[in-house]
Amino acid sequence: MKLTIIRAGGIAGIVARTELDQQALPKSAAKDFAGEVSRARLSDQPPPPPDVPRPDTQLYELNLEWTGREVTARYTDDSLPEDVRLLVAWVDSRPERVESIEL
Amino acid sequence: MGATRKPTRCSIAPPDLLGRLAVEGTPEQREAATCALATSAAMRSQRAVMGQLGRRLNIRTGSLAGATLETGERLSVYDNQTQGRQFLPGVLVRGWEAPAVVDTSVNQAYDGSNATYEFYRDQFGRSSLDGVGMELVSTVHYGVGFDNAFWDGSQMVYGDGSGRIFKIGALTSAIDVIAHELTHGVTEFTAGLVYSKQSGALNESFSDVFGSLVKQHSLNQTAAEASWLIGEGILVPELGAALRSMIHPGTAYSGDRQPGNMAEYVNLPDNNDPRNDNGGVHINSGIPNRAFALAAIALGGHAWEKAGRIWYEVLTTRLRPTTQFDAAAHATIDVAGMIFGEAEQVAVHNAWKEVGVLS
Repeated sequence: MKLTIIRAGGIAGIVARTELDQQALPKSAAKDFAGEVSRARLSDQPPPPPDVPRPDTQLYELNLEWTGREVTARYTDDSLPEDVRLLVAWVDSRPERVESIEL
Repeated sequence: MGATRKPTRCSIAPPDLLGRLAVEGTPEQREAATCALATSAAMRSQRAVMGQLGRRLNIRTGSLAGATLETGERLSVYDNQTQGRQFLPGVLVRGWEAPAVVDTSVNQAYDGSNATYEFYRDQFGRSSLDGVGMELVSTVHYGVGFDNAFWDGSQMVYGDGSGRIFKIGALTSAIDVIAHELTHGVTEFTAGLVYSKQSGALNESFSDVFGSLVKQHSLNQTAAEASWLIGEGILVPELGAALRSMIHPGTAYSGDRQPGNMAEYVNLPDNNDPRNDNGGVHINSGIPNRAFALAAIALGGHAWEKAGRIWYEVLTTRLRPTTQFDAAAHATIDVAGMIFGEAEQVAVHNAWKEVGVLS
């Protein structure tokens, strides 16, 4: 299982990518990761409503790949569900994450 | 002839009831409850409800009729205590004219908001963002390591930065960033530029223009002396020196894609893909940004005296929500002649020609 988080927009307009591969995690953390992903219910997210874009709002895209399947969910900082916010924070706390700036 | 608008009645009712009516009531109840929330004595709880109301209904509470938060206070600063959106505005930590506190972020948000307020008042005679004295509410320490600062339609919000994109604590340290965000509020109350493609890039550009002018004013710099950098020193050093360069777009940080000429306009779709930046609003703003910087340098002196005055007049009286680059350019030329004269018109026209918007 691999999760890719894209954070973009904001005052900078910079596109930042954070990736976390479950295979890179120790066994207990891998189990926690699966739990966080399950709680976030990314595969169950309905399409986001068409927002009136607000200046400099942070935008999110979460892409989850597992066993040949894939789901992509998009949010604004306004619409980010709390369980997804917690998943993002959990990924940010892991030293195994890989970060880059998309050019 | 349009329908006559009934005057809104305000009533005394518990804030929680008003909050529910403001969201779930009939149109009349919503208007009355919104007005009451905005004018009764419990401003702290109202602010939270108003902010939540705006987010829930996806509207800008500041633009609701009768809903402007006129508290008699110029500004105030709250602490979100890293709790996120549901805790906005947070805990009041410094009210208007209260002494400085230990927390640097609080004092920076206070001072930057005050400098922006005074700049608009002293240079253009504008009373706050809405023109009628709206209190400037700021919240610091939003979320955990949050890499952004934004105007949410009713207040300013600052994250602490993660140390991976923004330096920790940097988002309140740049006065031009504070003025940039507050200017989004001015735009919302005036031109209402739609945040998509060219009108969105103009929205971004006006925020950079007045963000830069507030900074130049605070440093008493002439247009020739100014760095024309936005957010100088707030990114981690590995990324670069600043968020944007108005005079040399595309050079502020590694990966800066801003064009400085219409020939390099980046035509991105506005399709809900975060990578496309609402149709390139932070990318193509480089073109009108450079036009302003070139015009200001050509006009000479302090940029807020001539170029700033022209751009302010255009933003507040000449633009429509869907205005495109060429119409904005013509408006600035027209206003330059109206306020100043032919020489100023020529200087502004030449700036737009230099960036390829006009021929």
